[in-house]
Amino acid sequence: MRFTRLNLFRSGRRTGGPIANRWAWLALPLIAFLAIGFLVPLVVIGARSVTEFPRGGDTSLLANYQRFFAGEANVRVLINTFWIACLSTVVCLAIGYPYAYLMTIVRPRIAGLLLVAVLVPFWSSLLVRTFAWEVILRDTGIVNRTLEILGLTSAPLPLLRETHSVLLGMSQILLPLMVLPIYTIMRRIDSEYGKAAANLGATPMRAFVRVFLPLSFPGIVAGSLLVFVLALGFYITPAILGSPKNTMLSEFIVLKATTGSLDWGLASAMAVVMLGSALAVLFVASRFIRVRDVFGSLDQG
Amino acid sequence: MASMRRGSAIVAAVCLLFTACSSGATPSPSSAPTTAASATASASSAASASASGPALAEICTKPPKHEGTTVTFVSYGGAYQKAQRTGWLEPYSKLTGVQFAEEEGTDYAKIKSQVQSGQVTWDIVDVGNDFGLDANADLLEPLDYTLIPKDQILDGFSGTYRVGDITYGVARAYNTDKMAGQTPTGWADFFDTQKFPGKRGLWKYATGGVFEFALMADGVGPKDLYPLDVARAIKKLDTIKSDIVWWDTGAQSQERVGSGEVAMTMIWNGRGWSAKHTDNKPVEIQWHQQILTADYFVVPKGSPNKQIAMEFIAWATCANNNAAPSNSIPYGPTNKFSKPNPSVIPDLAVSNVDDSTAYFDDEYLVKNFDDLDAKFQAWVGQ
Repeated sequence: MRFTRLNLFRSGRRTGGPIANRWAWLALPLIAFLAIGFLVPLVVIGARSVTEFPRGGDTSLLANYQRFFAGEANVRVLINTFWIACLSTVVCLAIGYPYAYLMTIVRPRIAGLLLVAVLVPFWSSLLVRTFAWEVILRDTGIVNRTLEILGLTSAPLPLLRETHSVLLGMSQILLPLMVLPIYTIMRRIDSEYGKAAANLGATPMRAFVRVFLPLSFPGIVAGSLLVFVLALGFYITPAILGSPKNTMLSEFIVLKATTGSLDWGLASAMAVVMLGSALAVLFVASRFIRVRDVFGSLDQG
Repeated sequence: MASMRRGSAIVAAVCLLFTACSSGATPSPSSAPTTAASATASASSAASASASGPALAEICTKPPKHEGTTVTFVSYGGAYQKAQRTGWLEPYSKLTGVQFAEEEGTDYAKIKSQVQSGQVTWDIVDVGNDFGLDANADLLEPLDYTLIPKDQILDGFSGTYRVGDITYGVARAYNTDKMAGQTPTGWADFFDTQKFPGKRGLWKYATGGVFEFALMADGVGPKDLYPLDVARAIKKLDTIKSDIVWWDTGAQSQERVGSGEVAMTMIWNGRGWSAKHTDNKPVEIQWHQQILTADYFVVPKGSPNKQIAMEFIAWATCANNNAAPSNSIPYGPTNKFSKPNPSVIPDLAVSNVDDSTAYFDDEYLVKNFDDLDAKFQAWVGQ
């Protein structure tokens, strides 16, 4: 009953109907929190990027942005940030999709175990997990020592401080955010569709590719967007598991904001550039898919 | 009366002597290299001579009482802040009744945001050598040098807005198991991966010593480092680039040299000491061609307890109090007349100063940070 009413209310809003729910005020604290904790700082950072300049520097409106794009390292790090975020998304999707699919076809109890297995790392500290990878992968780490003792290698393999180690650490952290939306969508796919496809003569592979995969697509998009956007903000994991080649923009923002001349103007400009680029990606994505439907579809029971 | 007069005559004579030795007391770090000898002299005299040094000002032994006042003290936390707590804060509380509310984690950005928003809660902050110069003038209170014994502070380690509270060295540590019986001697050996195979640890920070050490390895004298020849430093760094493991935190440098992940590393001397004595790892520190630098006390502009902060800073930099933290952590005094415990003297950077010791030109490094950082980042991420 309740859900039906809620859904009716939703569809009413979509067609532009009035919002007449006395419980709506419950959202006020959240709205106030978002306004104070998110919107105001955002405006402040935007304003700071065009008003605060280092002493004796250029004070024209876009001077900080000019300084940012003039820096060879800045542009490279910006590109690298998006590249690493892309790669993490691909890795998470490659692991997460089959995993979510497995969860839908096994018995509920095993599905529950699989769910816990993907969530447990989610509950432990990011730092602990990242340092654990360092201890495992480094030259004097477990893997390299074992290989050496077994006589399989004479010199340590370069497992750490490479792009692949960054991706390993990041995907482990981000994987639940890929698996959960995909799993949610997959569970709602009526298994009768697959049977119908088989009845009509489709091979299991063909039925999967033509029926199941398209139906799970909203989950793929939702998971990918979540992972991609969160991956953009990473910097500790790439700093510990990668080399300076893998530096991401957040590290530069921290560097500018907390050291040297406390260059908050440039740090703000960097933050705005990153936010702008992320929005641009979402905008491009929205040309191909309806982003609102992707996330909206998550809470339709 | 007579004895007092004689005492003050001796004080005056000693003062004169030190002023003569230290070739003028201009507080700019660029003058520091010329005073390396005097730093050694004072450190060794501190170790050997028993009753030298000027008389203590009243504030050094009887700082003003402020029962029930709470002052906020901020430093870098961990064993370091603990040493400052037992060495300075607790005795000062006993003497004056001042209570300390401590925060761990010095953050320049927080000082800036407190001052800009007018909500200053920090009174005394222990900061690194890259903070507290004229570039930060609008964030800090000028220190009260009518209280602080400026002429007793090592030359180059006091300025308008900051005074050194502890000295430390940016030095080299190596894992003895990785040296095949040889002993490396200077930065040239650090860059010689033929003779000393293995990875090298360096701080991933443009103005923390990486350029200076590369230049010293390339034959530049400790007094001729500034202005930095970045192109030359980078060319030298390029020769070992694939062997460098960059560290971001002091703990990483300590752990990696201890575990042998790197054979040699640039290290803050306290971290090297901990690798050897706390972690019990086969690690040795080398002082040759170290950079002697300091942490500084600053008072954020608008500190609610400015007066007490000044009194505390003056007290903590007095000859009789300044070396107290060195009893529990190997960070030495900045007061030339301070006498650390003889058992810790070999572990202090300030007692290991010699002709090879270099000094940061903080003024230069802060002024050119953006340029140096841009060049460093452009190279390091290639």
